[in-house]
Amino acid sequence: MGQKVELACIIDDDKIYVNLVKKIIEIKKLSENLLIYKNGKEALDYFKNSMSSVTHENLLPDIIFLDLNMPVMDGWEFLNEFLKIKNNLNKKITLYVVSSSIDPRDLERVKSFNMVTDYLIKPIELKKFEKIFDKTAA
Amino acid sequence: MLSDLQLNSILQDFDIAYWKINLFSKEISWSDHFGNLVGDPKIEEDRFEFFINHILHPDYRYDFRIHFEKLIADHETFKFEIKLKLGNGKYRWFECKNLKSKDNSFRETAVLLFVNIHQTKRDQYTIEENFFYYRETAEMTSTGGWYVDTINKNIYWDDVTKKILDCPRDFQPAYEKRESFYAEEHHNRMKSAFDKCENFGIPFKLELKMISFQNREYWVRLTGKPVYDDDQQVIGIRGVLQNIDENKNNELNLQNSLDIIASQNSRLFNFAHIVSHHLRSHSSNLSLIVELLREAKTDRDKLDLLANVDDVAGNLDSAISRLNNIVSVQSSLKKERVKIKFEEALEIVLASISSLINRENAKIVAEFQDLKEISYIPEYLESILLNLITNAIRYKQPGRKPVIFIQTYIENEKEFLEISDNGMGIDLDEYGDKMFGMYRTFHHTSQEAKGIGLFITKNQVEALGGAISVSSTLDIGTTFKIKF
Repeated sequence: MGQKVELACIIDDDKIYVNLVKKIIEIKKLSENLLIYKNGKEALDYFKNSMSSVTHENLLPDIIFLDLNMPVMDGWEFLNEFLKIKNNLNKKITLYVVSSSIDPRDLERVKSFNMVTDYLIKPIELKKFEKIFDKTAA
Repeated sequence: MLSDLQLNSILQDFDIAYWKINLFSKEISWSDHFGNLVGDPKIEEDRFEFFINHILHPDYRYDFRIHFEKLIADHETFKFEIKLKLGNGKYRWFECKNLKSKDNSFRETAVLLFVNIHQTKRDQYTIEENFFYYRETAEMTSTGGWYVDTINKNIYWDDVTKKILDCPRDFQPAYEKRESFYAEEHHNRMKSAFDKCENFGIPFKLELKMISFQNREYWVRLTGKPVYDDDQQVIGIRGVLQNIDENKNNELNLQNSLDIIASQNSRLFNFAHIVSHHLRSHSSNLSLIVELLREAKTDRDKLDLLANVDDVAGNLDSAISRLNNIVSVQSSLKKERVKIKFEEALEIVLASISSLINRENAKIVAEFQDLKEISYIPEYLESILLNLITNAIRYKQPGRKPVIFIQTYIENEKEFLEISDNGMGIDLDEYGDKMFGMYRTFHHTSQEAKGIGLFITKNQVEALGGAISVSSTLDIGTTFKIKF
């Protein structure tokens, strides 16, 4: 295996899911570090805060896994807010929407956001995880 | 005295032709104009027989002959409307009458005038026909006419209007009491429309409820237009009123059915949403665990993962029971409504959450004196109270003792329940449209929030034909208002 992802970020309120993904990342050594937020607002607050730092690119993740259904600020609201600050971020961030929803309307809606690389339907297989991390690190 | 020539020309100008009949010789001579109109017979033909057989419409032959004989023999007055065939082959209406001679002894000649009444007759037919159509249309569509004389303060209704309003034909509506013909809630609309029409000549078209003579309420469509005098001053208002009670009621029923269908549809969508989002999230976690189990190397890792299975099982179980709650809202429509006292329902609810109330030191004030009881499904009322009260306590303003004020009352003949708190409030601009959606939680602090309470409350209220609304101010409090 070549390069590794430095920092990954999971935004999801499902604790079990987050624990499992954390395990996968640890076992497969997919990322050096991991940020975990249980809703869009917590993640957004973090991004906004880190922007004030000079070397903020080190604080920002290479890859984000965003859930859609969350309390306080859901995935859709996060996408809209993230769109506003994206251009001020000094880093290329790969963003995946990850949801258990198989509702075709959700899929259509995700497509309308250019910054979303792909829509992943839970559960994501281990191999798929590895592939995604490899691609992002390359 | 006018000469025959002068007379002839005058009569001709008025389109009046005549016969001169010599009563002794029975000889008939036609005025030139008559000859021009119908054409002269051949020389050898008898003028009378020619007239009867070729000029006069067959329908009048018999009667004309009889009358004519009486005129000659007894000098009886002759007046008769007939149809004559003119030179162009078409029949025209004429009035045929004898010229009365003033001097009764002078019986040498009789004069029979033929006056063209075709236009008059046609107008008369048109009027009769129009009147027929008007009356039939008015009857068929239940449309009556009315006039308000705004100068002399009088009201005129036609027969259909009186019929629509169930009042006797000789009923004379009083100007001062004109408001009383309308349902109270429409007094203002009716008054403002009539005032605007009277003062500024603005026409109106309204759908209103009127009250009949028998005190029944009717939906009518009312149109009114100003009537001006020569100086362009409004002197009255004229219009029609149509009974649309049946249509309006159908429309309202239709709207009602539509609302029910829409609300059921939205619940179906929500149901699909839960299945799609929340049941799947558990099953996908399970498959992820299974995959990790295959990869797990140590017993310790495997045991950790098994603990996760336990969690998933628990979550799945509660998701299914929530689903069951929603479905049971749908099916409980068949349950009977019974009279419930708010006081008693509240007591049951408070008893079930007494530990929460004591822990948070919550104060609950209830005022039910304006509306003591309601016909409702008891489980629903309790569930609604429970959800809203626990919400109010759960989302208290930190550091402030939660106070909840519960009130019932009647407004516009509708029953209301209001639950207000002094809690942290909700930013309605941000969350307003999502408040009653499923799996919505708005506050970071709460671990207990499942995001399902308000969704179920809304479903229960709407399932019984009511509505719920919310108003809130951040840091001040929230009020939920339920219309039963």
